[in-house]
Amino acid sequence: MIQDYTAELIRGYGALTGRMLRIMDENGVVQEPDLVPALQDEQWLELYKVMMLTRAADDKALQLQRQGRMLTYAPNTGQEAAQVGPAAAMGKNDWLVPAFRELGAWLHRGIDLKSVYLYWYGNEFGSRFPEGVKVLPIAVPIGTQLHHAVGIAMASNIKGEDDVTVAYIGDGGTSTGDFSEALNFAGVFNAPVVFIVQNNQYAISVARGKQTKAVTMAQKAAAAGIPGILVDGNDLFAMYAATKEAVERARSGGGPTLIEAYTYRLGAHTTSDDPTKYREDSEVEEWKPRDPLRRMKAYLIRQGLWSEEQDAALYEQYGAYALDVFRQVEAEGEPKVEDLFKYTYKEMPAHIREQYEEYVQYLEGKVD
Amino acid sequence: MLEFRFPDIGEGITEGVILKWFVEVGQEVREGDSLFLVETDKVNAEIPSPASGTILARFGEVGQTINVGDVVVQIGDASAQSAPEPVAEEDAGAVVGALETSNQVLAASSEHAVAVNGASRRKALATPAARRLARDLGVDINAVAGSGPAGRVMKEDILQATDGPKPEAPPQAAPASSAPGQEERVALTTLGKTVARNMALSKREIPHAAVMDELDVTELVQFRQEAKGLAEQEGAKLTYMPFIIKAAALALKEFPVFNAVFAPETEEIILKKHYNLGIAVDTPDGLLVPVIKNADQKSLLQLAREVQDLAEKARQRTLSLEEIQGGTFTLTNYGAVGALSGVPVIKHPESAILGIGTITKKPVVDGDDQVVIRHMLPITLAFDHRFIDGGSAGRFITRLRAYLEQPLLLLLA
Amino acid sequence: MALMNLITTINHTLDLAMAQDERVVVFGEDVGVEGGVFRATVGLQEKYGDQRCFDTPLAESAIVGAAVGMAINGLRPVAEIQFSGFAYPAFNQIVSHVARLRNRTRGQRSLPMVIRMPHGGGIKALEHHSESLETFFGHIPGLKVVVPSTPYDAKGLFLAAIRDDDPVIFLEPSKLYRAFRQEVPEEDYTIPIGKAKVIKAGTDLTVVSWGAYVHEAVKAAELLQAEGIDAEVIDLRTISPLDRETVLESVKKTGRFAVVHEAAKSFGPGAELVALVNEGAFLHLEAPPTRLAGFDITIPLPRGEHHYFMDAQRMAAGLRKVAHF
Repeated sequence: MIQDYTAELIRGYGALTGRMLRIMDENGVVQEPDLVPALQDEQWLELYKVMMLTRAADDKALQLQRQGRMLTYAPNTGQEAAQVGPAAAMGKNDWLVPAFRELGAWLHRGIDLKSVYLYWYGNEFGSRFPEGVKVLPIAVPIGTQLHHAVGIAMASNIKGEDDVTVAYIGDGGTSTGDFSEALNFAGVFNAPVVFIVQNNQYAISVARGKQTKAVTMAQKAAAAGIPGILVDGNDLFAMYAATKEAVERARSGGGPTLIEAYTYRLGAHTTSDDPTKYREDSEVEEWKPRDPLRRMKAYLIRQGLWSEEQDAALYEQYGAYALDVFRQVEAEGEPKVEDLFKYTYKEMPAHIREQYEEYVQYLEGKVD
Repeated sequence: MLEFRFPDIGEGITEGVILKWFVEVGQEVREGDSLFLVETDKVNAEIPSPASGTILARFGEVGQTINVGDVVVQIGDASAQSAPEPVAEEDAGAVVGALETSNQVLAASSEHAVAVNGASRRKALATPAARRLARDLGVDINAVAGSGPAGRVMKEDILQATDGPKPEAPPQAAPASSAPGQEERVALTTLGKTVARNMALSKREIPHAAVMDELDVTELVQFRQEAKGLAEQEGAKLTYMPFIIKAAALALKEFPVFNAVFAPETEEIILKKHYNLGIAVDTPDGLLVPVIKNADQKSLLQLAREVQDLAEKARQRTLSLEEIQGGTFTLTNYGAVGALSGVPVIKHPESAILGIGTITKKPVVDGDDQVVIRHMLPITLAFDHRFIDGGSAGRFITRLRAYLEQPLLLLLA
Repeated sequence: MALMNLITTINHTLDLAMAQDERVVVFGEDVGVEGGVFRATVGLQEKYGDQRCFDTPLAESAIVGAAVGMAINGLRPVAEIQFSGFAYPAFNQIVSHVARLRNRTRGQRSLPMVIRMPHGGGIKALEHHSESLETFFGHIPGLKVVVPSTPYDAKGLFLAAIRDDDPVIFLEPSKLYRAFRQEVPEEDYTIPIGKAKVIKAGTDLTVVSWGAYVHEAVKAAELLQAEGIDAEVIDLRTISPLDRETVLESVKKTGRFAVVHEAAKSFGPGAELVALVNEGAFLHLEAPPTRLAGFDITIPLPRGEHHYFMDAQRMAAGLRKVAHF
């Protein structure tokens, strides 16, 4: 195993080399033993459990949506390694800036499942995180969050702190103007930011090939003059390793990196989307064996740390846990009327207060 | 027992076709197990069970269309904390941008706008400030003629319509004139101005003639004495006016020419079919004449109440325009202020006015050549001599006399 | 004649327009293969090929900017913005170029293009999926802004928009996409842009609205009718240019005015209508012209949105005050 990652991976797998970093293959067999990150097996098991929780919570949310209890939900199926790997490679004080499909990363970075469910349930409090959790809320307008990440990183520099910011975006997002602008800014200001593109091959129905003519998304880093690397997004080891190197680079003043996590959206864009309209089932079937959980499970079982029985039991347990969390959300998920008004400004200005009071009066009149 | 209804699972679908069942009746299921596969126009979806338990019943065959909200499965002995029944009603539909979908059909449109009915009543043009003033004065602004640009109703128009109570201060001591101490100038109030104008108009336009008479109202006096207690119980103060008004109204019906207006341009007499009798009321600011509408149709008690009410309003200056317009005949009771008799001025454009004096006890020679004490009421009927002659006037008075000297006739008429 | 809902009408109208005029091209995110996230463009790529109906990368500024270029070069583009809340990145193109090119070139170049987008809320979706942008667009000189509220109107207005030589922002109330069906004639017809419609005549109170709220306003008027208040309901249909005549004629008749809209109240579209009524019908007013509008807050997420969006009951409560002033 390698202790020092400085520039190693970029040299071997940098975007312009045309190669993809993969440490573990689809069957959980290590292909690049020298590149396996320096974690204990128990630590890998813990990370696997986070991926499992992500999967179970996701599946439960989908079920609940089909029951009419959860609103629109964006599943993460198949992208767990691209989310948990980088999260694990971040430092305690580092920032996470999401797009909207990073459940594994959120859970690992300290956001409780209840907040996540509350958000998708349709209550703004789902974006208010526990104290000390350095994660921004979901950004619905695609790509806009990258600027925020760059700004956070620039502030770290200005303040002389060594926090690093990790920002996520999808393959669709790389077509936005904001993407280019943010990378460019980051480069110019040497901002300590790591951009992770979850290339899951689809932006709703638009296939990756129609999103850009560039051969990889990682190579777009070159236009901004920053390092880019293409990684097998379903390989937990590789995602961890690439992110670890990028984070250390940023922390030591080496500036930004762009990581393309090459993965696949096994599920739909959201619960309202029907992928059968624009992609073949055969394609999905091709990707299923590359499922990040599958290969990690195989690895762990081979290492003697895990078993199928334990796996099934854990999935059940996490499913029950998720359902329990959702029931809590259902029980208290309706917002108070005042909450709708009081967070527009720090102090509620007169005209908003008036509207609020008038509305409350109206509600009371209606009730009697 | 839980009834599971087919939920709206996405983009506002209304129905789906069952493609496959995964469970049988009697089968044990756990929460989350797939129950059936449904095809909708957006997605094919496996629908999971909302609870654990036994499938008690299944509704819908493969290939059958089910609607959102239809009960598809009954599950028995649902787990202790069974999930709240999945809501399939449209309003709770949970789904991405849950579009309400329904088969409701809107009425057909066309490009022709809906026939817009023209405004039926006249609406005044006025500023909000003017409208406020009208409202405060109790004047219906839509009935006020506007003297402003494009017929706009100005404040002055509104004030005039009320015969202007306006905060016009009572005539102050006049500023010194050329001969201090020799004269005093007193400005007329707005009401005063109106009265002056109207009096001059009446006398200028209408050749007045009058007949006078003395009515023996002894029976009336007694009748009233007997009736006034009863009337009070009915909430009415019974003076002589209600009787006189009633008598006048009845007489006017028989002699319509006294309830008319002369139209000199066309040389026509316009006989009014309503009997709206005005009662002159003396107020501190001047003379006001509130009108009792359709006096012929009202009972004595009603008349009594209305007289009271209108007189009070007149004194308070709270009369509405309605209440001072539309009169067809006027009565003026100068007897109330102590005059024995008088010669009233017709209220233009009416054709006659009845003046009422003071009832006094007088010695009178009766049918048996005896001198008896009777209550006598002098009255004066002034009339428009252009089309009413003394003969009609005399006959009108005779009719009045009949009613007032034998009050029972008023009840019978 | 066919019974169609709003989304099917849009689809059918695009089909008609594309069949009639080969210069009409349709594009946007997920517009081609999938036929649009709401299925507005379903079947068009199959029928007309991927040069005339196609998917674009995720880039709203580029979508609108490219439409500008296409229009300059002889096409009649109909660009889709997937949700009005995603129009913001395209604002620069819209304000700086779409609205101005004719003026900039003194009429030499113009942009016969349409930007269409789902508009308004009440569909229980995430942030940015419920926005009402008509006031922003209405404020930009050079743009026309249209909001149909029924399938019949949608077809007529959409065809008019596509044939208009000025750029048109076509706002489709997403709440109404599948809310009902209506008879829509199969043949060609247009409804003039800039013409409002009195959909319920009345004498006591003028109520102006557009989009999804029109239908609630009609229900509110029915509630008022039962109380003896005869409201006149006008569907504005075009925000810009505003049909001042229809609105003023109505107010002169009724003397009372209220505008009901989803967008937030302050500096919103209603303010424009109130100003119009004050300027044009001042002497006819018996009550202050009133706005019933969204609160000045960010539109809440689904669990709170029912507080924001008005139902007929709440509208009626507000209208009653105007009627009884």
